Amino acid sequence: MRCVGCSAGFGGTALSVETASRVQKMVRTSRYEALFAQALRIRLFEERLIELYPFDKIQSPVHLSIGQEAVAVGVCESLTREDLLSTTYRGHAFYIAKGGRLPELMAELYGRANGISGGKAGSMHLAAPEVGMMGASAVVASTIPHAVGSALAARLRKTGQLSVVVYGDGATEQGVHHESLNFAALHQLPVLFICENNELAVHTRPDARQAYRIIDHVGTYGIEALRIEEGYDFLRVGDVVGATVEAMRRDGRPRFIEILTRRYKEHVGPGEDFAAGYRSRAEIESWMAKDPLIADADLVADLTPAIMKEIDEAVAFAEAGPLPDRSALLKDVL
Amino acid sequence: MTMIHNGLPAQMSYREALAHAMHSALDQHDNTIIIGQGVTDFKGIFGTVLGLAETHPSRVIETPLAEDSVTGICIGAALNGVYPINIHIRADFGLLAANQLINLAAKYKYMFGGLFNVPMMVRMVIGRSWGQGAQHSQSLQSLFAHIPGLVVLMPSTPEAIVSSYAHAIAHHAGPVIMLEHRLMYDLVFETARQATVPHPFGSRVERSGGDVTIVATSIMVLEARRAAAHLAAHGIDCEIIDLHSISHPDHQMILDSIAKTGRLVVADTSWQPYGVSAEICRIVAERDPRLLKAPVVTLGMAPAPCPTAKALEDMYYPDLHVLVDATARLVRGREDHGVPILDAKSMTDFYKHFKGPF
Repeated sequence: MRCVGCSAGFGGTALSVETASRVQKMVRTSRYEALFAQALRIRLFEERLIELYPFDKIQSPVHLSIGQEAVAVGVCESLTREDLLSTTYRGHAFYIAKGGRLPELMAELYGRANGISGGKAGSMHLAAPEVGMMGASAVVASTIPHAVGSALAARLRKTGQLSVVVYGDGATEQGVHHESLNFAALHQLPVLFICENNELAVHTRPDARQAYRIIDHVGTYGIEALRIEEGYDFLRVGDVVGATVEAMRRDGRPRFIEILTRRYKEHVGPGEDFAAGYRSRAEIESWMAKDPLIADADLVADLTPAIMKEIDEAVAFAEAGPLPDRSALLKDVL
Repeated sequence: MTMIHNGLPAQMSYREALAHAMHSALDQHDNTIIIGQGVTDFKGIFGTVLGLAETHPSRVIETPLAEDSVTGICIGAALNGVYPINIHIRADFGLLAANQLINLAAKYKYMFGGLFNVPMMVRMVIGRSWGQGAQHSQSLQSLFAHIPGLVVLMPSTPEAIVSSYAHAIAHHAGPVIMLEHRLMYDLVFETARQATVPHPFGSRVERSGGDVTIVATSIMVLEARRAAAHLAAHGIDCEIIDLHSISHPDHQMILDSIAKTGRLVVADTSWQPYGVSAEICRIVAERDPRLLKAPVVTLGMAPAPCPTAKALEDMYYPDLHVLVDATARLVRGREDHGVPILDAKSMTDFYKHFKGPF
């Protein structure tokens, strides 16, 4: 069953926020609540980072996904632990949604030895191979071919895995995006390309960067390409990705999905930057009005205490974690 | 054919050793792929992968002209249980892969705290002669060896090829860059004279001698052998170290040799500044410069991009004349060292058994 309030894009009439909230409460499903809880967990985790940041506990650049959680939650819903996911440096949401662990994540951000990567990765290079989270890169677009390669390996080894790569709209401007689409299409590899389009590359809008429409560009490779306008709606994202993944498991062919979304915070760091003049608060507020994590205040209230407890424990784990010692400095170079 | 040394024939060309290494890789390791532009065409990367596309069609993969993504594809494949051998028919094209090689492959293990390994091999062929020019002849070992996380090797013999390629595929769980010298492909080597080496990736003592240490790379090892034979006839006894590993040279081997000879010549296939020459000097200067009885001598390409014209190209590369003269001057300590300079052909002509195109 699908959330009625999130049905825009399926041909249904978009409801007002108030109506949507009321209807959501009536038709809450276990799937809706599970995805909501996961999205809220990501948001509250990142909001805790905003609180912690001024204390210099975290000495790593953080690229927050606040506002974009539904993309991660909806994309990861139909992936298994065996499916491989490569991401960008704005990766907390995907790390959490794919099944990564909050204590190790927080410890990693703290630069502690009990972090995911012993403090060597920080925020920008999250990974959890045990759940198929295969790493993020701070160099835009550079993980796109990795997913193509892991799909090639899956094909050769007949493992049945899907490979998924998430990247921003700016990454589509890199030549390697073209090269990767071409190779995936040429060899018909099971790669799902997800473009998380927040319409900003650092502070620059698409009309200053792109002489093409992303989805049209992808279409020239013969790759089936979809676009989701309602990137705030985790059920909508989950439905489209779920149907796509199901088709890919049948035919093993590549697919592309562009998901429109909005980041509420600055490009990097914990603050807002509406005063900088490159985008307006009003634009984001219209998006926030449709954001279930804001609109469904009752469910937020219901779920928050348990999530806050989990986050508190993650902070305690990080605070208690040892600093990496000199023996770690030259470990794992080769 | 007499078989010696791990089943290798008594004589073997550099090209045959490469082909042997590639055939063994696919035959002995089901997870290995060969991938690159031209790997399935009728020339088969100078004959080094010929036949493999027929016997292993799913594992020899032709690519678009897309070095950046193909290198990334290799990383992704390596992360998912496949061992890629990615070939660039000119090392210069490897620069299109610099982002993936330097920003990703080299760092993937370290920056994720050991969660991942990226076992893969990148073969890059150094072009030379017949007007290869500025963008088809570069010898980029120092650039890659500068980056922690990369192993950079320059095999100068069939033995080095067979042993180090097999070791990389079977035992080294990280990215390895192999720089092969095009000019050596047709040379036939006596495999029986190849030294036993403690580690396939290690430096090798190519010749023992007491008067001067020549640390050489790639084809300069062969040039050092020619020079040493001539110098020996005139009373100068050269020790030659084939560096082989550019990224992890054997410091102790170099120091032990200089402790014996007191003199050092570095003969590299690339430019001297910030390169192999500079690095070998750093090792000695930091560890024990008092071992040296005289200032070091380094030989490399002229400090310019490579010119195409044959007349200029012949001046561009250090050759036997320069190596003999410089070594004799160093050992004798004077300009008029008394060693006749050979009237030998330039290295390009000496080693070339063919005329273009190539």
